[in-house]
Amino acid sequence: MATSLNLISRTITFFEEIGDITLFAIRYFRAILMPPFEFKELLRQCYILGYRSILLVGVTGFILGLVFTLQSRPTLMEFGAESWMPSMVSISIVREIGPVITALICAGKIGSGIGAELGSMRVTEQIDAMEVSGTNPFKYLVVTRITAATLMLPLLIVFGDAIALFGSALVENLKGGVSFTLYFNKVFEALSFSDVIPATIKSFFFGFAIGLVGCYKGYYCKKGTAGVGEASNMAVVYTSMLLFVIDFIAVFVTDIFFEV
Amino acid sequence: MSKAANQKLKLGIFVMLSTLLLVSALYFIGNRQNLFGKNIKLHALFYNVNGLQLGNNVRFSGIDVGTVSKIAMNNDTVIRVEMSIRESIQTHIKKNAVATIGSDGLVGNMIINILPREGITMPVVSGDTIETYSRIGTDDLLTTLNVTNENAALLTADLLKITTEIVEGKGTLGMLITDSLLADDLRQTIVQLKRSSVAANQTLAELNAYFKEVRQSESVANLLLTDSVSGEKMKRIVSNLEFSSDEMVEITAGMSQVIDDIKESDGALNYLTNDKDLVRNIDSTMINIKESTRRFNENMEALKQNFLFRGYFRKLERQQKRDEKKQTREDRN
Repeated sequence: MATSLNLISRTITFFEEIGDITLFAIRYFRAILMPPFEFKELLRQCYILGYRSILLVGVTGFILGLVFTLQSRPTLMEFGAESWMPSMVSISIVREIGPVITALICAGKIGSGIGAELGSMRVTEQIDAMEVSGTNPFKYLVVTRITAATLMLPLLIVFGDAIALFGSALVENLKGGVSFTLYFNKVFEALSFSDVIPATIKSFFFGFAIGLVGCYKGYYCKKGTAGVGEASNMAVVYTSMLLFVIDFIAVFVTDIFFEV
Repeated sequence: MSKAANQKLKLGIFVMLSTLLLVSALYFIGNRQNLFGKNIKLHALFYNVNGLQLGNNVRFSGIDVGTVSKIAMNNDTVIRVEMSIRESIQTHIKKNAVATIGSDGLVGNMIINILPREGITMPVVSGDTIETYSRIGTDDLLTTLNVTNENAALLTADLLKITTEIVEGKGTLGMLITDSLLADDLRQTIVQLKRSSVAANQTLAELNAYFKEVRQSESVANLLLTDSVSGEKMKRIVSNLEFSSDEMVEITAGMSQVIDDIKESDGALNYLTNDKDLVRNIDSTMINIKESTRRFNENMEALKQNFLFRGYFRKLERQQKRDEKKQTREDRN
């Protein structure tokens, strides 16, 4: 009985949280359209969220392309289809693996970072102080971070995809003697707009989700240091789940419009 | 440079680089699909496009020159395929070129191959419809293979039946393989055949030797075999013989006619040949004539002895003697 009640209570809390996040998102859209606009902070957040993630995304993308090619190579060789490697790797990375992996990494780095930062600000009452001082903390802290994440993630994904394809080309060049020119010729022969455009659009939603959940968890952080940790942790967990849900929806929508 | 400015610079570089990567990717993809640059449109009509899709490559003599830009049903059976071809290739594609649908490798995408043909014709212009040629598709090949397999199954079934019967000793072949007596008979037959062939060889050798001798000798046979002049003569002789035999036939026919006439007529010859009484009469007449002659000789001898006629006969004897003496003297001289 107690378990059932606990489950019902959790379900209600879950839906309440979804409702809260939705309201938080609506508040964001309202705030972004109304001045004042915090451009300076937006640029700073873009630098922090975007530029400072390049190394992580680059290394991850390079290893992703490298490992993916190395693992696929024996199977393709078994069928005598090594020439299909650029097509297979490029379509996989550009359509799905690149955006999702990069978004998950960013969820870990950016989402948790935003959650922890805003959480600690909430705990140390910096946000309250901002309200008292007449600065709109939502505009200054939340809108800039969500917008920065929404804008930077597509660029990070493009960058990550390019590095991953370079890693794959490097393996093909070293193992199969395929020139970089031939490899990228095959890549662009295999790719089409229906591969790149949906993935790019999807990546904006990924960025928005990472920023939104991170900011929400941090902004409404419970009091105490444990609350900061929980906010950081839950930001990553919720964002990761939300990324897969968005990806699932994106695949459906892409299927309808582009007939994949 | 302040920290904020440094951050802005780094962020700007990152944003520009990433945007450039995205734009470049889109450009290269678009370029592959001939979205940029000048293109011409060519059409081709097919009865079956074998899964051809929009964006599939178009190749001219193996070079990628464009993409499929539109596929639409022209009527119930004909499909119109529109191809977007690079304008720079236009001068090389002639109006008599043929379009075929093929596959890029064994399991690759479908492509359209434009093949040039011999002959001098004008280059295509945008909007032209070029001829098509339907190759045998995989489905057709599989259908043919299916028929072949069915035939092979029937053949193997028949073969199995035949081999089973052979193993069981049925039929001539089975008996040949399983019957030991027959095998012995066959062996003996073969031995006999060998002997016969040896004898035949000998005979042939003898015949060869004989013919060799004939050829080398100056016999009539050799002459007939080798001399063309003699051959011509023989031909003429045979021809003459044929002519003579024809003549003989005619003569025989005439004779036969004469004989028939003699038989059928009332002439003396018919009477002589057919009347037996006449023969007997003639026979008795001849006997009487002989008797009469004998008696006449006797009478003549009696006359010689008669004194009335003796002088005459002596005169004849003397005359005869004188003729003989005269002859003797002439022979001496």
